[in-house]
Amino acid sequence: MKLLSSFKKELILASRSFYFYIELIFALVILAVLLFAVPENFSSTSTEYLYLNLPKEVKEIYTDTILESVPGIEPEEVELEADGKTYDAQLIVTDEEEIYIVDNEEAVRTLAYSEQVIGAVIELDDNNQPYYKYYLQGYESTRLKNLISILFNESTDVLEERIENQEVRPLSTDYEPLNDRENTLPPLIAFSGSLMGMFVMASYIFLDKNEGVIKAYAVTASPVWQYLMSKIFVILLTTVVSGLIIVMPIMGFRINYGLFLLLLLTTGFFASSLGLLIASFYNNLTKAFGVVYLLVILLMVPSIAYFIPGWDPVWIKIIPSYPLLQGFKEIILPNGDIAYPLIASAGFLTAGIILFAVTNIRFKKTLSV
Amino acid sequence: MLKRILTIFARDLKVNMREFLTLYMMIIPLILAVGINFISPSINDTSVNLALVENENPKQAAYFDDFAHVELFSDEQRVEDRVRSRDDVVGILPKDNGYYIMTQGNEPESILEYAKLLNVLYESDVQLEDARSEIVEFGRTVPPLKKMLVNMLLLLISMLAGMLIAMNILEEKVDNTVSAINVTPTSRSAFILGKSFTGMFVALFSSIACLLITGFYDINLGQAALVVFSSTILSLLIGFIQGLNSNDVMEAAGSVKLLFLPLAGSIAGYEFVTGNWQIFFYWSPFYWAYKANDMILSKSGAWPQLILYIGIILAICGAVYAVLAPRIVKKLQ
Repeated sequence: MKLLSSFKKELILASRSFYFYIELIFALVILAVLLFAVPENFSSTSTEYLYLNLPKEVKEIYTDTILESVPGIEPEEVELEADGKTYDAQLIVTDEEEIYIVDNEEAVRTLAYSEQVIGAVIELDDNNQPYYKYYLQGYESTRLKNLISILFNESTDVLEERIENQEVRPLSTDYEPLNDRENTLPPLIAFSGSLMGMFVMASYIFLDKNEGVIKAYAVTASPVWQYLMSKIFVILLTTVVSGLIIVMPIMGFRINYGLFLLLLLTTGFFASSLGLLIASFYNNLTKAFGVVYLLVILLMVPSIAYFIPGWDPVWIKIIPSYPLLQGFKEIILPNGDIAYPLIASAGFLTAGIILFAVTNIRFKKTLSV
Repeated sequence: MLKRILTIFARDLKVNMREFLTLYMMIIPLILAVGINFISPSINDTSVNLALVENENPKQAAYFDDFAHVELFSDEQRVEDRVRSRDDVVGILPKDNGYYIMTQGNEPESILEYAKLLNVLYESDVQLEDARSEIVEFGRTVPPLKKMLVNMLLLLISMLAGMLIAMNILEEKVDNTVSAINVTPTSRSAFILGKSFTGMFVALFSSIACLLITGFYDINLGQAALVVFSSTILSLLIGFIQGLNSNDVMEAAGSVKLLFLPLAGSIAGYEFVTGNWQIFFYWSPFYWAYKANDMILSKSGAWPQLILYIGIILAICGAVYAVLAPRIVKKLQ
């Protein structure tokens, strides 16, 4: 009952605070951005500059091959400017590429350098075989350079046919990918919702320390843990409301909200307990700033791995935000793995309880710092 | 007046140093810069991760290693376990008449296509020695992702500078010394300038140091300092209004969170939104600062273009100041 009463009091105080409404406004702004500014799928076309140093007939065959790859496209005559010079070019736009065919090698070199994209000159060698000269920036990895250098050793038609005939055995076939808008949800929920709890919790405690509220608990019948828990409940409530504001309009009823709330609450509890623990070591936010700041940045690192498929070093996986991001992703994925968010929730809950217990001991001992 | 401004600056610096806040603000970006140096080479080397059976075909494993990251496992079951893990790993396993590709089923299309291509090249016996090509490099060593991270760090520094101002003002408010300034010979403008110096000093120091740590010592540091200076002006303005409007750190912290939205939105807009849609980000000074930084970090910065961007940033700052000035003056009273 004391806990409930503390929670009610905290809730009333929070509802009078500017912060509570900022959280809700923030969630609404994110939702608006997602709905109106983030496309369902980002268009990612690459640009390349090409000079065909080939006999006229071969040149035409080459251009026709590109045009035939996407039915209905027409080349467009354009003018390009780089390094104070103007170059004429033929632009061919496919679904994946913007190919500019220019009239000389100097144009390829200048444009590839100034636009920082790949440039290529295609000519015939002594045996009348195609020979490729690539202009690269220099920062490309050795593996990528290796691939580029042999990519056209075989004819494109032969390569395409063999690629088509490759046997692929997927271990699961019921996977449906997320669109780009949906894919941005896990990091937003993780950082705006769950992990901000750490920062906010620490701020809450410092505010109360400043006003002497925590010291007052030394002379009340209510134990400190109930006071701390009531604070956590307020943050969890804010996290749940703002999380639902963002997720519901985008995902509708396609996800398991029970699982979503479970992960949101357990991760929020973990982050808040972490915030409490940090706050127990310092007098004010200014002093704790370095630790909070570094932790927030560290927790953000797994989001880089989240957006870069193929870059997933082992050390990233031990940062708590990694299972947090992956857990939210599994929840919003159609046919996602249910076990993963459940295990992650259990882990965050356990870690949260341990952190909370340690913090409680620290607060009981000091009642101030 | 200059003496008074410097006195306020020295006082803020002393207080902040006592609580290590200024030191944190200056050192943490440097740690982040080192972190960027640490992770960017491995991100740049990102290719496809392939899982193969050890000793099944050492020649094939050596071939793939020239083009992708190869992991070897003792048997097919272990390869399957690896493919089933959360990251994107593709298995290439033997079958009766060649090799097949094992996927988890959720890999991006590009990764699957890359793995297929490598397998085809191997099966077609296309060797590096037979390459009918040559590569000319421009000698650039900084990959785009590193440039992007450094650019984001520069904007973050200017944000933190604003936050430092907000914290300092808040501290004055808690001590009830903001209104006391009115009965001293220090004018309001001297107070504002004095309070701004710490933020500007931190922003300039941290930005230049981060650029040097991350290897951008051959860019035009003068141009970079100019952009940092102009974007910091906006942060200072917002820092002031945050500090004066907030009654406690909770409210100031919430305001900072709101401020992150236009910053992150501007970066995302510049990087991901194509063509004409970028017009929707023209209102944001962070967009112009990011664009200007990108130009400088790419070493393609021409002064007229840079002056235009800085002019836009300052014009937006001027407009924001025109709107906020009456509130700042009122709060200082």
